[in-house]
Amino acid sequence: MLGTFILNWDTLLPKVMVVLGTCMVTQLAFIKVGKAHESSWMSSLITALGLCLLFRANDLNTLAFASVLSISSKFFFRIRGKHLFNPANLGIIGTLLITQDGWISPGQWGSSVIFLFIMGALGSILLFRVGRLDTTMAFLIAFFVLEYCRTVLYLGWSMDVLIHKFSSGSFILFAFFMITDPKTTPDHPWARKIWAVSIAVLAFIMSTWAYIHTAPIWALFLITPLTAVFDLLWKSERFRWLKERNLNPI
Amino acid sequence: MKKVSVITAIMLFCIGAHAFCGFYVAKADATLFNTKSQIILVRDGERSVITMSNDFKGDVKDFAMVIPVPVVLGRNDIRVVNPALFSMLDSYSAPRMVEYWDTEPCLRYMECDEMIDVRSMSMVPIMAREESVSRKDKQYHVTVEARYDVEEYDVLILSAKESGGLKQWLIHNGYKIPEGAEEVLDPYIKNGLKFFVVKVDLEEMKARNTEYMRPLQIEFNSGKFMLPIRLGMANADGDQDMIVYAFTRQGRVECTNYRTVKLPTDRNIPAFVKEKGQFGPFYKDLFTKAYDREGRNSVFLEYAWNVTPNFGMKCDPCVGPPPMYQEFVDAGANWIDPNNPNNSPIFFTRLHVRYNRDEFPQDLFFQVTPNMEHFQGRYVVTNAATGDMSCSGGQEYLKELEMRRKKEVDELAALTGWKSPRYASYIYQYSAGIHEPKRNEGLPFIPWSTGGTVAGIMALALGFVVRRRKKALQLENA
Repeated sequence: MLGTFILNWDTLLPKVMVVLGTCMVTQLAFIKVGKAHESSWMSSLITALGLCLLFRANDLNTLAFASVLSISSKFFFRIRGKHLFNPANLGIIGTLLITQDGWISPGQWGSSVIFLFIMGALGSILLFRVGRLDTTMAFLIAFFVLEYCRTVLYLGWSMDVLIHKFSSGSFILFAFFMITDPKTTPDHPWARKIWAVSIAVLAFIMSTWAYIHTAPIWALFLITPLTAVFDLLWKSERFRWLKERNLNPI
Repeated sequence: MKKVSVITAIMLFCIGAHAFCGFYVAKADATLFNTKSQIILVRDGERSVITMSNDFKGDVKDFAMVIPVPVVLGRNDIRVVNPALFSMLDSYSAPRMVEYWDTEPCLRYMECDEMIDVRSMSMVPIMAREESVSRKDKQYHVTVEARYDVEEYDVLILSAKESGGLKQWLIHNGYKIPEGAEEVLDPYIKNGLKFFVVKVDLEEMKARNTEYMRPLQIEFNSGKFMLPIRLGMANADGDQDMIVYAFTRQGRVECTNYRTVKLPTDRNIPAFVKEKGQFGPFYKDLFTKAYDREGRNSVFLEYAWNVTPNFGMKCDPCVGPPPMYQEFVDAGANWIDPNNPNNSPIFFTRLHVRYNRDEFPQDLFFQVTPNMEHFQGRYVVTNAATGDMSCSGGQEYLKELEMRRKKEVDELAALTGWKSPRYASYIYQYSAGIHEPKRNEGLPFIPWSTGGTVAGIMALALGFVVRRRKKALQLENA
């Protein structure tokens, strides 16, 4: 809605419909064959939202492909009951590599202060409820410290340059809504913080020396499979969605 | 050592791909502010070719330009190109006005909407200037990495260890650096950038018997795809405009750290905008309004099209002939196969940036995307039909014309902010020809129009159905 009516994105509606529809249909197919619980269809909406917010493509088929890839990854790439990759993240990276038709527009959400405030507030409320606000905070603080040291202390740019970097709408969406997926973050709070910091460090290196504008998304793709290792090293109670808890009381 | 008092007025103009953007230095003439610059940017993998227009209008001996570059350029990486390339690309891709004529409603078998005239909003060039240089100076920690004679230009590639030394070196060698430049030079130096310093070879200019300086083109390989606009803001006073003509194999070029937005396009505007000299101010105000509306921190897309020669239509309408093989080669698109140029893919993006220090704290970073969607800035004027309007079709046409012109005037106000009581004469120009309808005589409740007729018939049908339903219920009850 914001993209269509305020940011004037073109032909957004058909693309959103394709992503939402394909994600839902794929999820329902896995429910039908008994791979997923009936209550899991809501999670496909979250994946679809991530794709709509961060991924773009010329062809509707490319978007459909990314949607199928995202949802399917939840069932094909699993380890000890958790997803090996963040579904939307894998869908984006996989489609970028395979089709050559999609792209991420890091600047598409602009750097409006109001937008940042709304996204930050909504994200904080949501993450507080699911207990993953620590992941976002660890990522943001680590990235900010690294960027501050290089951009301001070393290079000598003024603070507004740093603030502009951090006011990117896409960056904020990533920090609040992509890396915090409970099914792909480590279970232990300290493990999550270290995991998030390692994503920040890798993203910083990739953006600074490899000039990759979408570095955080690639860093998440590379670090997420290590979640299983973090879970082995730091054991803690596994996250369950509310409905799962009700259906399968511990 | 030649000493020149130099400077300033920097206009930085940015350049493209790898951290570049330089500034023009003008000799103590503060009037030489950069207000608009043009750059051709070719990107293929990590290879960048950047061509900078040179619209310097002062005394050539005062000309000088400093541009940060990512690597020490070789002699073969620096060229001069034909200035006609810029005017060709500008006029071809500029936002355009298209004119249509209404058909006469009381004549039959007439073709409608025949496009006739096209005008473009061309750019106005800019200027700048500068002066001389020296060589390695240990005291300033500045090293002259290379020195080249490139046609009418003398080129030096400098490296520095800290901004203070570079600044002092430039001053010592006759350049006057603008206030604020030092704080911008420092980050570029620490980022490992070199400085491409250009002045005019007066002997060569004399030999060429001209004072006109051709555009400079540089080429290099780097992962960074950016324009260092901050350097050009060092002595800038207010907003600066920059037009970027970008060519890639894959698709559109877009900015990664600022929003890239489309200009309002395909809008119907009043026919008086086509009057001599009106389209220029119209587009200027349209751009300013769009710039304000988008928060003054966006990059505007003015044109995007697959210009591969065998692709077919490349604009609607085209303002001039499309760029072909020679233009692509001149711009630096070296992937064009000379044996099969018509099938070598090439995509043209035109971006317009208006920037200033407050709204654009970061340099411009770009990326090449597979986005192949076409776009052009296009504004439509439609001329009213003339002739006999006495027939019913003519009367309908005049009423619709009045309504259409109201919308056009509203659109004009929305696009540019132009409002005037005088526009009423445009709206009602042909309204005198509308005769009061002798309508609805004897049938006061049935509106005399197609829509009204349909509505009336539907109302009658509904009444008929309701009546039958009532009768059926009565029969059932009976």
